[in-house]
Amino acid sequence: MDLQDQIHDMMSRRTFLGQTGAGIGTLALASLLNPGAALAASGPALGKPHFPPKVKRVIYLFQSGAPSQLELFDYKPRLETMWGQELPESVRKGQRLTGMTAGQSRFPLAASAFKFAQHGQSRAWVSELLPYTSRVVDDLCFIKTMHTEAINHDPAVTFIQTGSQQAGRPSFGSWVSYGLGSDNQNMPAFVVLLSKGRNGDQPLYAKLWSNGFLPSVHQGVVFRSGPDPVFYLNNPPGIDRTSRRRMLDYLAKLHQEQVKHVLDPEIDNRMQQYEMAYRMQASVPETLDLSKEPNYIFDLYGPDSRQPGTFAANCLLARKLIEKDVKFVQLYHQGWDQHGNLPNDIKVQTKSVDQASAALVMDLKQRGLLDDTLVIWGGEFGRTNYSQGKLKKDNYGRDHHPRCYTIWMAGAGIKKSFVYGETDEFGYNIARDPVHVHDFQATVMHLMGVDHEKLTFKHQGRRYRLTDVHGKVIKPLLA
Amino acid sequence: MILLQAPSDWALFFGHFHPLIVHLPIGFLFIAGLLEVGRRLGAVSLTDSVISLILFWSAVSATVACLFGYLLSLGGGYEAEILEEHQWQGIGVAVFAWVAWLVKSERFGDRIPFGSLLYVPALVVSIVLLMVAGHHGGALTHGSDYLTQYTPEPFRSLAGMPPRKESEVAIKPLADVNQALVYEQVVNPILQARCVQCHNAEKSKGDLRFDTAEMLRKGGEGGPVFVPGKGLDSELIKRCLLPLDDDEHMPPKGKTQLTDSQVAILSWWIDQGAPFDKKVADLTVTDAVKPALAQLGSGAPAGGSSAAPAAATGPAPEPEVLTMQVPAADAGALETVRKTGLLVMPLSKEQNQLEVSAVNARAFGDADAAALTALDEQLVWLKLSNTSVGDGALTQIAKLKNLHKLHLEQTKITDAGLKNLKGLPHLTYLNLYGTAISDAGLAELAGIKSLRTLYLWQTKVTPAGIAQLKKAAPQLEIIGGLNEQAIATFATSVTQPAIESPKATKQ
Repeated sequence: MDLQDQIHDMMSRRTFLGQTGAGIGTLALASLLNPGAALAASGPALGKPHFPPKVKRVIYLFQSGAPSQLELFDYKPRLETMWGQELPESVRKGQRLTGMTAGQSRFPLAASAFKFAQHGQSRAWVSELLPYTSRVVDDLCFIKTMHTEAINHDPAVTFIQTGSQQAGRPSFGSWVSYGLGSDNQNMPAFVVLLSKGRNGDQPLYAKLWSNGFLPSVHQGVVFRSGPDPVFYLNNPPGIDRTSRRRMLDYLAKLHQEQVKHVLDPEIDNRMQQYEMAYRMQASVPETLDLSKEPNYIFDLYGPDSRQPGTFAANCLLARKLIEKDVKFVQLYHQGWDQHGNLPNDIKVQTKSVDQASAALVMDLKQRGLLDDTLVIWGGEFGRTNYSQGKLKKDNYGRDHHPRCYTIWMAGAGIKKSFVYGETDEFGYNIARDPVHVHDFQATVMHLMGVDHEKLTFKHQGRRYRLTDVHGKVIKPLLA
Repeated sequence: MILLQAPSDWALFFGHFHPLIVHLPIGFLFIAGLLEVGRRLGAVSLTDSVISLILFWSAVSATVACLFGYLLSLGGGYEAEILEEHQWQGIGVAVFAWVAWLVKSERFGDRIPFGSLLYVPALVVSIVLLMVAGHHGGALTHGSDYLTQYTPEPFRSLAGMPPRKESEVAIKPLADVNQALVYEQVVNPILQARCVQCHNAEKSKGDLRFDTAEMLRKGGEGGPVFVPGKGLDSELIKRCLLPLDDDEHMPPKGKTQLTDSQVAILSWWIDQGAPFDKKVADLTVTDAVKPALAQLGSGAPAGGSSAAPAAATGPAPEPEVLTMQVPAADAGALETVRKTGLLVMPLSKEQNQLEVSAVNARAFGDADAAALTALDEQLVWLKLSNTSVGDGALTQIAKLKNLHKLHLEQTKITDAGLKNLKGLPHLTYLNLYGTAISDAGLAELAGIKSLRTLYLWQTKVTPAGIAQLKKAAPQLEIIGGLNEQAIATFATSVTQPAIESPKATKQ
């Protein structure tokens, strides 16, 4: 409908201008119909941040499946003393459960099977599962009181990525691309990298990095490690760069003809995407070239980093992309959904992320990039303090828990060596300083120089924004 | 008249419509006057009934405006003398409008002796009173000098007015913050800029006045506005910190708000006992307020630092060089810079400051650097990493006086070039990683007092050189990065919990 309206609108304006034939009208018409000019003019929505940004680029290390905060960051000695006892109703307060544990007759409290220690100046608790991360806590800002509205993976991931539990809204990175544009015309502003720790976990969908109703140039571009990082980017055999250029030029002429008749703004987008792809044919191989990386850098990120497609290799790629001023690098790492067999499975998972996550922070720091890059590490919700299935000393599981979980951030504009918020002694509810998903989104937007209430897009008759009608910037997090 | 004795919500509700209604009689009476003049000059022809209708509605709307105006005045906070004059002038407008209508109307006009003689004087008096009342109404709302405060020269001198005060919004930078009188030069300018518009001798909302120290001490109808020693418990601070949507929030929604650093300063001043005669240097300057004070002028605030926990503080204010007003960059200069392959990006919507990046301009070299100097006022962030620039470019960069961040990593610059950076007063970030810089170059950097972070990974700098610089510039964070040895230690010294033999894990 919206598109129809838009076309109708443009048509009538064209008719009007055609009839008057006034000089200025013809000029406007010319710029309207000359896609070359339109191409040059179609910048980002804001073009400029609302205020000077602290963060120029984001690397979001999304831990898909929901890492257990109780095994990693949120140390609760009370769970040790009350091990195996029933979760008191005074704590649960009728909280809804997933279908996976709703049928359980008991909710036995489960303590972490892993030891905790305090690290760094902030004396932040980190478990023995993350020995590398615990080395860099002085560069980290922990938020222990993240909470969300969804209790299942798909709506929860969709919520933190797009601000809505229902699919169809633009992803975080798409909003950033739309609002701020690219700092490097030869690279997309929003790049997606995928990896997994454990097989057979929750799936990911392309809708998570979709542009939603925003122009399609803002959708996330998936990069893979290895010789062919972007699907279908390279010229097929027998086509060289010159003939590709000629082909694109003729195609652009055809598109321009088409625009005159249809006036579909997506044609402009399509032309921009072809041009971007053409530029990326040159820029991507150069950007992602790992051959000049010294061995000790691979050592820093860990042995996995030599193996394309791993989280560690993607962290290294993320750094390479950031060095080329890509605005928003969204990693997804699957495998955190430990409903059962948690103590062993989480070890596989932490081993796949720990060293590379810490290495990324250290590497960005020594290159001077952490000064205007923000690294975010966290999942879509937390895990329950009671065991799903049978509780044994060495084996248990945890169900989904939206009421509290921990994430960390590092880098520009936020406090270093800082722990924000506190959960209750059961690790079930928030005791103070809650941070809602929309608050988190608003805060990251704020760091990027964007007022989250002012970055909107009108679609189907209403203005949408990432934070819907919610979200407050959490000022105590800001440096 | 119970309604009028205590201002109920109803009274104030209608009262707030006064400024709206009041424009009706203004329009009606003026058009009546114009038509009357036009008719007498023969320019328009119309009947008495038209004029009569307009006059009737003039009188009705003027009466309603009087009534609403009275209701509005019950809310209080207006300068009594002007208010009284305005009130009687308004009533006069209504009365004379009624008289003018009466003598003109078909029904009553004939019954009034000498009615036709009264008409013109009544209309004229009504219009003149209208203008006077309108002027006083404006003075009540906006302050008595609102109309003429921007009178330009030479009319200003001709009218015998005093020279114009600096616009109250602009707070003048202080020569030396430490020697500034804390009330007179730090606190009062904030109050003058943000509060006095509604809390002054003429318009004292909430019976509260901030225009003199005495009145500030006295407080308003809710009692004192500050409790010496307890900033956060003071009404003055509380009101500023309430959510903008809260009815109690000050300044009211829609007015210019205090910045975070201004609130920090007020809060700190009250914490310090709210002294009216001391200097900044006499008080304890906490870490929380240091950046806010530093913003007020040159000369970093001294004074004992207290251990304010970092957690309690809000974000540090933006450095001035990023927020100050600079003229927009010249379009030709921008074009020249872009031609060298650089990307030019505005820092934000509000300001003209620019960021320039050479992310796709590897060939950018010393010869191109001269183009940057045309942007010397706007250019604050410059990224020339991975380009062909060397020491030659640094002589040009030295002219970029507002430079705040400078990326020179992976370039051919040497120790000799670094002395050019000494004259950059706002430089806080300098990235030299991957260059041939050695200890000799570091010595040049000690002189840049504004510098806060320095990146020296993969340079020829030695630990001894870093230690020496650290001594000379203790404010500086030096990031040396990890050498191969450190990485090897990092990568191997850690044990992760062993994973059991990979058995098929279900679910």
